[in-house]
Amino acid sequence: MIFHPGILALLLGSALTTSMLCYSAYEGVRIIRNWDIRSGSERQLELERRTYLVSTVMSYVLGFQLLSLFLFIYTADTLSPLFIGAMCAAGSLNVNGFGYSALVLKIVSCLLAGLWLVVNFTDNRAYDYPLIRKKYWLLLFITPFLIAETSVQAGYLLGLRPNIITSCCGTLFSTDAKTVMSEFLALPRLLSEAAFFLSAPITVALGLYVYLRSKGAYLFSIVSFIHFLISIGALISFISIYFYELPTHHCPFCILHPEYGYVGYPMYLAILVSAVSGLGTGIINPFRNIASLCNVIPRIQKRLALISILSNSAFVLIAGYGILFSNLSMAAY
Amino acid sequence: MGAIEKQRNILDFTLSSLGRRKGKNIALVVVYTFVIFLLASVLFFTHSLKKEAFLILQDAPEMTVQRLLAGRQDLIPTHYIDTIRQIRGVQSVAPRLWGYYYDAMSGANYTLMVNAELNDRAGEIIIGNGVSMRSMSGKRNQALRRNDIIPFKTYDGSVLTLKVRGLLPFASELVTADLILVSEADFRKLFSIANDQATDLVLNVRNAKELSTIAAKITQIHPDTRPILREEILRTYDAVFDWRGGVIFMVLSGVFFAFIILAWDKATGLSAEEKREIGILKAIGWETSDILLMKFWEGSAVSMAAFFMGIFLAYLHIFLASSILFEPVLKGWSVLYPSFRLTPYISVYHIATLFFLTVIPYTVVTIVPSWRSATIDPDSVMRM
Amino acid sequence: MIRLQNVRKVFNADKANEFVAIEGVNLSIDSHGATVLKGPSGSGKTTLLSILGCMARPTSGRIMLKEREITSLPERFLTEVRRETFGIVFQQFNLIKGITALENVMLPAYPNGEKHASLKKRAMELLDLLNLIGKAFSKVEWLSGGEAQRIAIARALINNPAIIIADEPTAHLDTRLSREFMEIMRQLKKEGKTLLIASHDPIVYDSTVIDRIVEIRDGKIVSSGDIP
Ligand SMILES: Nc1ncnc2c1ncn2[C@@H]1O[C@H](COP(=O)(O)OP(=O)(O)O)[C@@H](O)[C@H]1O
Ligand SMILES: [Mg+2]
Repeated sequence: MIFHPGILALLLGSALTTSMLCYSAYEGVRIIRNWDIRSGSERQLELERRTYLVSTVMSYVLGFQLLSLFLFIYTADTLSPLFIGAMCAAGSLNVNGFGYSALVLKIVSCLLAGLWLVVNFTDNRAYDYPLIRKKYWLLLFITPFLIAETSVQAGYLLGLRPNIITSCCGTLFSTDAKTVMSEFLALPRLLSEAAFFLSAPITVALGLYVYLRSKGAYLFSIVSFIHFLISIGALISFISIYFYELPTHHCPFCILHPEYGYVGYPMYLAILVSAVSGLGTGIINPFRNIASLCNVIPRIQKRLALISILSNSAFVLIAGYGILFSNLSMAAY
Repeated sequence: MGAIEKQRNILDFTLSSLGRRKGKNIALVVVYTFVIFLLASVLFFTHSLKKEAFLILQDAPEMTVQRLLAGRQDLIPTHYIDTIRQIRGVQSVAPRLWGYYYDAMSGANYTLMVNAELNDRAGEIIIGNGVSMRSMSGKRNQALRRNDIIPFKTYDGSVLTLKVRGLLPFASELVTADLILVSEADFRKLFSIANDQATDLVLNVRNAKELSTIAAKITQIHPDTRPILREEILRTYDAVFDWRGGVIFMVLSGVFFAFIILAWDKATGLSAEEKREIGILKAIGWETSDILLMKFWEGSAVSMAAFFMGIFLAYLHIFLASSILFEPVLKGWSVLYPSFRLTPYISVYHIATLFFLTVIPYTVVTIVPSWRSATIDPDSVMRM
Repeated sequence: MIRLQNVRKVFNADKANEFVAIEGVNLSIDSHGATVLKGPSGSGKTTLLSILGCMARPTSGRIMLKEREITSLPERFLTEVRRETFGIVFQQFNLIKGITALENVMLPAYPNGEKHASLKKRAMELLDLLNLIGKAFSKVEWLSGGEAQRIAIARALINNPAIIIADEPTAHLDTRLSREFMEIMRQLKKEGKTLLIASHDPIVYDSTVIDRIVEIRDGKIVSSGDIP
């Protein structure tokens, strides 16, 4: 293991977050088994108090997971000089098999925690807590992801040794290499550009439709998720090169560096926020016919749609700014 | 927006409540600040050392070739240059002369290095800041100035007096503090080194990718040499400094746990007065979430105050007060270093790391006690 | 306005020290009247008052507030109901020390998200009404007993509730101040507020303000008649 303050911070943060979540899951089991809102018994009152604890814990879990996601990438970045051939996080994460899995699990757990908070927020607006069991089942579903994330991240960080030879963004994200990513990059750039410039307005338009008409939540939700994947792909395949001003440099991480004004942070944050709000619109949709929620859900969906529209637009604006004001002239390629 | 006004109202009340309970909170903030100050100091310090080392090495040649004799570094014959230059891909090879000089008077070890600019000015030297502070001429507390004369004892027993031509600029004090630049002639005279020998050889190559192939060729031609790559040194330095930082962190974890226990204790041991207040708030219409929100703002205010004060103090300590607290550690390193200054440098990454190591554990520790105090029954004040 | 049906409140259920504080209570409180809950110490007045005032949920039984069943509302919503409907005056004033009288009055409205300026204006109007304008910026620990009592009343009124609840409001007041308190209650009743007071002080239950006396003993209602 490498004794690095960033590594200690990540391990400590993850361990704390996951143990809080495990405790919440334990409370969740008790709530699923014993919840009876009609009862005035002391046990029921106590369970009701516990729901506040779990809500609080989950808000912190989401916050910490988000911070931890970025700290993870940043740490991988700072560690890159230790590995031969690594120039940024792309290389460090490739040092052992756990790096990229940990990253994906971190993103997934952020999305899941965000979705749980959307469901919780919705449920807390209804006087009879109609989703209480469902949301604690969801919590039980999320917990293994965080445990996996913590273990895989620990596997990655503890397995780091200086001087390991790795390959970095130059080869991982290039069209010559034989990786999944390079297969993707080998697709004509026009295709990914077309996909992005189609899916962005469609997502925003559907968001507006949900916002104005309170209809089409499922479609919006599915499209939002597809757009989430397309956005990440677009960022790697063609948006990033305008920021790097290098036609062959497709790195998802270098864009987080100070050389590029940390522009990657707002972009990734916008992608995550729009994914959570888009998916959130759909995840609460099945419950809109419940009596106590029928007035609540359309309002929440409206708000989520608005958040999604704003964050998608922010992403497109930043990307557009990068493309328009780049010194990279694509005409030459 | 009602939600924002509500946040503002609750935040206002929280801050005024914190003010009312200064005594209790000040003790916590002081300890919290101290913990963050210690951790931040270690982080800034090791990172700056790393940065300094990096600065030195950045100008270092891509490859250095040393000669080994019985496993120890020895002088290298300059005729090796000719054979090495023949290797394909080598751009330039140059001999270097440098070494250490122990001054019994001040008890310090200086780094002497030949500088080409002084070669036609034999008899003159340029000195670093540390050298000027601790005079070798016996005038202990007086800084050396231009045109001062310093006597050196040569290896054949005679005395060589050299004149100070100037001081080195400040850029990286850690590097230049103990440095003395001399002319080649003076260096050879001082250490009795023959003209066909050098300390080591440095070379530049045309393509960095060929470094390892060239290194292999050199050891093949001259089996008594050891080529060292800059990349390797950088990597070792990085690992060593991170490791040091990590170890100090572990040592400090005792302090840290003491703080966590204090935080837990403060959060759990609500005074009767505080309990009554929360009870009143709940009875007059505040909800559990409102109290939790208040507790959140309270924790944030305490954390932020301690966090920024701790970082600010650590900054002062490391970059302006010459890391006074780490002086004992440094003294073992070299007697010269007591008062060098590091180049100020803080990154977002440090802040984020510190946040994870301090604020998150603090927050986690206070969640359950806050929740417990927030779920007091609203009718409890009617029975107090 | 409020209807209790067969309400029961048990403390420490299923434990050795199980205690039934309220048992089989049926009670109906009408709008615009003044009701006193009368009974010896420990008879369950405070417990009943806290159930009526939505501060506690009964162990069993039903509660209706303005035709809405609120029996099993979770705390989150019960608090909202309470904040909108009830203003509460406590036995020991229960003001928060260290902050001004004005802030104390404003506190119950903070979670509503009202603009600070307009809230402050309303609070000042209330203080003016209760002749406390000069004390608005004094810390509450410097106030006299009577002033503290009136601040507590102002605080109970800030959210413009329909019902005022008071638990032994005169227990810490001398006779003069107790009468003064009842005069304020009379005024509030005239303005259309419903009053619910728990007390075993004759100044309260013998006052002409009171329309109805409900007598409790050992957690049961022994008489709930109107005053002739
Ligand atoms: N939280 C509690 N736990 C156990 N017993 C309680 C609790 N609250 C009240 N009691 C009991 O319930 C009874 C009624 O109390 P209370 O309603 O305060 O009476 P009163 O206000 O008429 O003096 C008392 O005997 C008291 O000891
Ligand atoms: Mg009582």
